[in-house]
Amino acid sequence: MEADGRTPAASVSYRDVTKRYPGQSSPAINHLSLEIPAGDICVLVGPSGCGKTTAMRMLNRTVEITEGDILIGDTSVRDRDPSELRREMGYVIQQTGLFPHRTVADNIATVPKLVGWDRERTRKRVGELLELIGLDQSEADRFPSQLSGGQQQRVGVARALAADPPVMLMDEPFGAIDPINRERLQNEFLRLQAEIRKTVLFVTHDIDEAIKMGDRIAILKAGGHLAQYATPAELLMAPADDFVEDFVGADRALKRLALMRVRDINLWEAPLAFVGQSTAEIRAKLDGAEVPHALVVDSERHPLGWLSESDLRADTVPEKPDSGPQPLLDLDDVMRDALADLLQTETQYAPVTDARGRIAGVLSVEIISEFLVSPEAKVEEHDAVERPHGQ
Amino acid sequence: MSPALAQFAPLLAQVTIHNRTGGNAPCQAQQGKVFCFGWAADNFDRYTTPLLNQLLLVLIAVAIGFAIAFAMALISHRRRWLVPSFTGATGVLYTIPSLAFIFLLLPITGLGWTTAIIVLSVYTLQIIYRNTVAGLNNVPMDSKDAGRGMGMTDRQLLWRVELPLALPEIIAGLRIATVSTVAIATLMVFANVNTLGAPLYQQIDFKTNIVIAGGLSILMAIAFDLMLLLAQRLLAPWRRSQREATP
Repeated sequence: MEADGRTPAASVSYRDVTKRYPGQSSPAINHLSLEIPAGDICVLVGPSGCGKTTAMRMLNRTVEITEGDILIGDTSVRDRDPSELRREMGYVIQQTGLFPHRTVADNIATVPKLVGWDRERTRKRVGELLELIGLDQSEADRFPSQLSGGQQQRVGVARALAADPPVMLMDEPFGAIDPINRERLQNEFLRLQAEIRKTVLFVTHDIDEAIKMGDRIAILKAGGHLAQYATPAELLMAPADDFVEDFVGADRALKRLALMRVRDINLWEAPLAFVGQSTAEIRAKLDGAEVPHALVVDSERHPLGWLSESDLRADTVPEKPDSGPQPLLDLDDVMRDALADLLQTETQYAPVTDARGRIAGVLSVEIISEFLVSPEAKVEEHDAVERPHGQ
Repeated sequence: MSPALAQFAPLLAQVTIHNRTGGNAPCQAQQGKVFCFGWAADNFDRYTTPLLNQLLLVLIAVAIGFAIAFAMALISHRRRWLVPSFTGATGVLYTIPSLAFIFLLLPITGLGWTTAIIVLSVYTLQIIYRNTVAGLNNVPMDSKDAGRGMGMTDRQLLWRVELPLALPEIIAGLRIATVSTVAIATLMVFANVNTLGAPLYQQIDFKTNIVIAGGLSILMAIAFDLMLLLAQRLLAPWRRSQREATP
């Protein structure tokens, strides 16, 4: 903890780590090596029994390492007193693990109390964290059982952040939350992480969550073998083996859309029709255009709608064309959401605007489907040919 | 066996002798009457000393019993293999009939407070021990995991998480133990301690006496029970809010 507030995140490095439980012939973790840069979220993912939780627990020494070493910064966890080590790591677990007999404020203050902060400093920190997780100060004196599941998990995250640890451990933190709230909590955490930049070790069995949350993903398979350690995009584009390919799922091209923004794809251009322009000029532009419809824009190039056949019969471009511009997309929209918008409004084309709301291009279902069958995303047909069903 | 029995005989004789003395002639004449108010008002002070003795005896016995049972529970908490033997041992002690227990202690501690306190304390062990162990066992796994994961030492985990969460069950055990100790304490007249059992056995055929001595004993039990219930409410406020939240 530094005087100016923030503890810098620390890198974490697994060096050839093996865990063998007594009386078991095969190791739970088998020569695992991972380099996690400071400030990154590393997701450990895999089927149940692959040892992902064991791998995480060796970092805070709730499970002891049999062989190899784990470094935080340049210090081996083996050289640290386990309790002191754990106080420097945020710890979030699935069932929240909030203490039912302590109020929200006291729960959040757990680690500050353990490391001996004075009352005033602790009280101030609790207030800051309640604000950070969007919980009203009046909730501070309630007991965990009086909060909703989502609020409890937020308090769990706040408690983990209380003493500003350089590293966070999160063991299926959103696993017990309903899908709608889970998505919300995931987004909240990503927003939070953009601000606090901790090194996070995140365990999940859900590959979609891994792709969403991870800067890097470590896929483990049974016996504690590391199958692949890569960024989400690499994992989806180039699975290392059949196991990873299976685990990632046959719809991984679609999953890639979740990683892309609209700006990452080459958009089409529609002929622009400025309000008041003569329709004859527009007709000329429509011949051979990428998009066979003209987009009505105002003088600031803000899209107003699409020019219909009946609009074209008038002499000049109207201010209010027959069909509106919806869905209106943003360059920063996630591609999967953009596709969903297109399908939902049952339109072929959607104008895309930049941050100032000016037209930047047009997205169509066709562009996306072309992308999905392009070599960089094409994987499914290849699978179907090589591997028979049921395997 | 027989010398010890011989030692015990005068005690029983004493009880029967007491039986004939005391009492109030006009009230005793009305044998059918359940309660004689006049007599009760005139003679209430004869119950004061037994009442205070019994109160003191219960407090001391439960305090000692709690200290021992609680220590046993803490010792076996991190040494699980001790639990069956501790449960067995306290269970066996619990089955000894109280008169036989006094009788067994006679050659060692004789008659008097020491014997009474030993007998009563020993009887509380089983209930308090079992409840404390159950309370500690019922602490949610994830609370313990979170506590340890945040860097609590075993001792911190015990005092800050496990015991507070086990408190309602520990107090529940104390309540049962205290109420039963009040009841058995009347029998300690046989260890020659002047508890409410003394007036009770002195005039076993006088109903007003039985109602007062027995009634005081019952009231004492109820008072202890309510006090402990109140203590539980105050010490575990989170329990109530938990119930409200999950109806």
